[in-house]
Amino acid sequence: MSKSKLLGGTRFAIALVSTTVRASFALRHAFWMSAAFMLINNLLFFSTWWILLGRFQHVQGWTLPDIMCLFGISCTGYGVAVVLAGGLFDLARKVHDGELDTWLTQPKSVLVQALGSRTHMSGWGDLASGIGLLALSGAVSWSSLPLLAIGVACACATFVACGVAAHSLAFWLGRTHELSRAIFEFTVTFSLYPPSLFGPGLKWLLFIVLPAGFVSYLPVELLRAPDVRTLLACVTGTAAYFGAALWLFHRGLRRYASGSRFYARV
Amino acid sequence: MTRTANALFLQAFELLSPGKYVAIARTSFRHRLEERSVLMGRVAFYGVLLMVFSKVWQTVFAAQTEAGSAAPAAAFGDYVWYLVVTEWIVLSQPSVHMDVQGDMQSGDIAHQLSRPVSYVGSKLAEALGDLALRLVVMGAAGLVFGRLFADCWPEPERLALAALVGLLSSLVMLLCLLSIGLCSFWLHDCMPVYMVWQKLVFVFGGLMLPLSIYPDWLQSIARATPFAAMLYGPGRLVIGEGDAPTALALQLIGWGVLAALVTFLVERRALRRLVIDGG
Repeated sequence: MSKSKLLGGTRFAIALVSTTVRASFALRHAFWMSAAFMLINNLLFFSTWWILLGRFQHVQGWTLPDIMCLFGISCTGYGVAVVLAGGLFDLARKVHDGELDTWLTQPKSVLVQALGSRTHMSGWGDLASGIGLLALSGAVSWSSLPLLAIGVACACATFVACGVAAHSLAFWLGRTHELSRAIFEFTVTFSLYPPSLFGPGLKWLLFIVLPAGFVSYLPVELLRAPDVRTLLACVTGTAAYFGAALWLFHRGLRRYASGSRFYARV
Repeated sequence: MTRTANALFLQAFELLSPGKYVAIARTSFRHRLEERSVLMGRVAFYGVLLMVFSKVWQTVFAAQTEAGSAAPAAAFGDYVWYLVVTEWIVLSQPSVHMDVQGDMQSGDIAHQLSRPVSYVGSKLAEALGDLALRLVVMGAAGLVFGRLFADCWPEPERLALAALVGLLSSLVMLLCLLSIGLCSFWLHDCMPVYMVWQKLVFVFGGLMLPLSIYPDWLQSIARATPFAAMLYGPGRLVIGEGDAPTALALQLIGWGVLAALVTFLVERRALRRLVIDGG
């Protein structure tokens, strides 16, 4: 890809996302409601850990501040992902129903258009709860901010990549909305629990099939015990997973069949 | 007031001749049976949640034994079976709120209202068909997962009691979901309300942790809510530390009647609003 094409693509992505996000701000009432409810939702969900660790102090060495950090990274990464790439959740349905047609006729990337076509207002609530939990965890200081930024960027990129890979299954398997969503939900679920709970047999699953390892485990390790090897593993792992997801989507796109069909609503 | 009483009477009369609603429920049951991938996805999610939380309990028990601290009141297997019951109730719930919201957003409600059945009645019947299937499939899966992760069986009478009360609890939850769906007539998107309701169920119902391990002040708040009767009640029965099942069932019936009344009133207001707004 030439440099000018890459620059043009980036500029288009920024313009698309900023338009979608601005449009969501226009529905002010709905925006604040969605964000506030999501914030409450996340804090209520987190309270389970607060209760458990209030009673038992730690789970395999993971104390409340550690879990706050784990939740914080995961919520922030997820929030950024759904705000910037909210079209992720509908991708499998769009592929199956042939709704990519309009984007295929445009000179820009189909994936960027599909992902940036929607934003989730509730993502701002995720973002707020994530930042709040990170601040309360005590694991973040001015010196660790760059590592935190890298960790959150990796979490966000991996969430998007996981969604793209899971929803790309629709190119081969047809109607996979539920399966694709389930794969994504499993990744979110696993990213909220300490990795030490799962034995070595499950580790490969958590780093390859459901990339919870890159979403939260490695980014949290970066904050708990900063280390060059962890940093490299986190960045290269995320890049590899992201690259694989892009490759899968573009391979699938070659098989894409148009949705020129008639519907009858009874 | 008289109009409300008349409408209530008509609704009750319709329920006494439930032929068409039974047909809707039966069709929904068959339809959902065809969507095997959705069912399998739910079962897999159920399995993953049980696996994750059984690992949490395993770790907690191991650490407590190692440190010589007082272990939780119940045994490890009890906590797993508690989870089997509470997650069974929650994960069997169909997304009736999303169906109602979808009808409202797509405008389908306009032609559904012209049918000779109550809109809410037909949605409820459809959801009941779906719920019946899910309860059976998830119940069977729960037995397998429970045995696998807890490594023991609970007492059969306790399990049967928990399942019976769980059925009642599922019905009450379904009515609540229907009311939440009807909120989309005002809010357009009922998802935020649903998510907060869901998390209140998780926390005050004791979905993942029995209320007995909560701090005292939180326990007393949770017990005053209907959520405790919906999840903690049936969950406690399976581990044999529950209230008298009859008292719990009566409590659930009370909450169910209240939920049905709220659903009916919300429906009336929602439909009136729809007519005034022009659909």
